[in-house]
Amino acid sequence: MPRYFFHLRYGRGTEKLAVDPEGDELADDEAARRHALQCARDLVAGSPSFAVRDWFACSFEIEDERARRVLMVPFGDIVPEEDDEDRTG
Amino acid sequence: MTHGRHCDAHNRLLKVMPPEDFARLRPHLEPVDLLTGQILLAPNARTEHIHFIETGIASITAEGANGRVEVGIIGREGAVGITPVLLGSDRIPHNHFIQMPGSALQIRTDALTAAVEESPTLRKLLLRYVLTEMIQVRQTAFINATHEIEARLARWLLMCHDRVDGDEILLKHDFLSMMLGVRRSGVTLAMQQLEGAGRIRARRGRITVVNRELLEEMADGGYGTPEAEYARLIEGA
Repeated sequence: MPRYFFHLRYGRGTEKLAVDPEGDELADDEAARRHALQCARDLVAGSPSFAVRDWFACSFEIEDERARRVLMVPFGDIVPEEDDEDRTG
Repeated sequence: MTHGRHCDAHNRLLKVMPPEDFARLRPHLEPVDLLTGQILLAPNARTEHIHFIETGIASITAEGANGRVEVGIIGREGAVGITPVLLGSDRIPHNHFIQMPGSALQIRTDALTAAVEESPTLRKLLLRYVLTEMIQVRQTAFINATHEIEARLARWLLMCHDRVDGDEILLKHDFLSMMLGVRRSGVTLAMQQLEGAGRIRARRGRITVVNRELLEEMADGGYGTPEAEYARLIEGA
């Protein structure tokens, strides 16, 4: 399986990018996107941070093993969640 | 209480034990290596041995369908397995495994129980240790509910630093993520903040504590209470 790196963008400039040193193995780009959304949900729900006052201003910059940008996933993409869609039709 | 000095032990409980209590345990203590990932006490498994940690760190985790999260750590200040046994159970529903390799002195549970039944001073010391474990876990619950991830990481690094020789802590972000119950990106973010302020240096899997005082400041009051209680209850500070 390919390895994806989920760099966390939390402001402008290189110093506001938390570079993922380890990465995760996932089946494909779509699985990587779902993983990013799940991580974003968990961070928004349970991880207050001094450095990030608004998680919704953040995004994941996802790269492959050759450091090529694959996807950009803004934290705002976690709304609406599937449950909400079910309720609102 | 007279404090013995058993210079062949690194474990802080064994070190402060009165010589007559240490003499009760000594014939039963057996040195063992602790390997990364080794399980010392599995959830609900019968406690066959107690491990007095000499070097290295064991992690206590709660585990379920949604994953596992660290709820406590035990290093040379403690012993894995004491808590259920001293409190009258042969098992406990948490996992205890080695997160940093080292060594321990292990003793069979029946030998420890017999020694505790003979010696009120030994029972008191070990029960006080159980209390310090409880205080640490309560502090963790408090910190996890109230503190930012940077403060939680700072506290956790200080607790590890207390339990290793030197300033290096070897751990991957993936592992830290489980330890702190936060996504790895959160750990990486927090690591970057601590590093930027010169508190630590982080290289792939290797964290160096550069400035302990600044780390304590970053822990925002989260570090220190359990440590002071240990010193007071166990070492009479």
